[in-house]
Amino acid sequence: MNAHAADHAADHAMDPVADHVAALSAALHGPVRAKSRMIQEIRDGLTDTVEAHTRDGVPPDEAARLAVREFGTPEQLVPSCQRELTIAQARRTALSVTLTVPFLIACWHLIWTAGQGWQLQQTAQLVAVQLAAVAAVATLLMAAALAATGALARRLPTPERLPLAVAWAGTTAGVAMVVATLALAVLSPLATNWPLVTLAAMVTALSHGVVASSARACRRCARLPVAHGAGRG
Amino acid sequence: MKTDAVRGHLDGLLLAVLEPGPLHGYAIIAAVQQRSDGALQLRTGTIYPALNRLERLGLLGSSWESVGERRRRCYRLTDAGRGSLESERTAWHEFTTAIGSVLNPAAGAPAPRPAS
Repeated sequence: MNAHAADHAADHAMDPVADHVAALSAALHGPVRAKSRMIQEIRDGLTDTVEAHTRDGVPPDEAARLAVREFGTPEQLVPSCQRELTIAQARRTALSVTLTVPFLIACWHLIWTAGQGWQLQQTAQLVAVQLAAVAAVATLLMAAALAATGALARRLPTPERLPLAVAWAGTTAGVAMVVATLALAVLSPLATNWPLVTLAAMVTALSHGVVASSARACRRCARLPVAHGAGRG
Repeated sequence: MKTDAVRGHLDGLLLAVLEPGPLHGYAIIAAVQQRSDGALQLRTGTIYPALNRLERLGLLGSSWESVGERRRRCYRLTDAGRGSLESERTAWHEFTTAIGSVLNPAAGAPAPRPAS
């Protein structure tokens, strides 16, 4: 460790606010922007509290320790912070599905109707219809989840297991997208409008990347302990 | 007053102190303590997830604004938030009236007959 790094580590070790913020940051998981915003607000709040105590004549070191004590321990704060981040991740997953799936179904329908020079086998048609049905049901569930965690939550309590349900619905939609991508990739050499089919396969694969990564993060958040009955919503 | 006793009323307290105008996190805490003359002790860290939740419900709006030398997240009451605050006030008034009538019965009210 060089001298600068050693000084920085020593400063950090003596800063209860930085330690507290780091402990909270390490314990919380959720969408990058939402977490970053929450941590920034917490850091600002602690800094303001230290400044207020310092203005009242408390020595800076003692003011920092006092601010952290008044703030609450990570064990006391993480469950309520994590609940909001878990819901934020669930809403993000729900939004990614509700935005991508209708577009993909429209693309698949376009290919279906444009491909007049070739016909899908009956089995392939059945698979395509079932994939679209799975994706459509997942989209409806996600739209309901968005409503249930938004303005509707003023009147109705948000089910505690909703983020887990969203995570698995998102995972299912992601799997449907993988199957659709493979099916389109296999079909593209056979299709007369192969550029369109190849493009649809690429868009579907891209959508899978977005939805699957968000659903994976949502599964992780849904497993973490959160506060219950913290208020409306 | 204990933190646990305040927790059930946190939403109403936060909405009420934002009624006059936008405030950032620490100013909200200071406003609650000032209005209660220091009687209400919030565990200050609890207000940040609560503010996030109220914003998600559409009761608050927020934006980054320059306050002093730093940029801070400032919260403001929405129309839905004002409606919710009125509901909180009505519910609180009905609750305190009901409890008060039991704890402090009116002097002229007939005393309950003792069980025979």
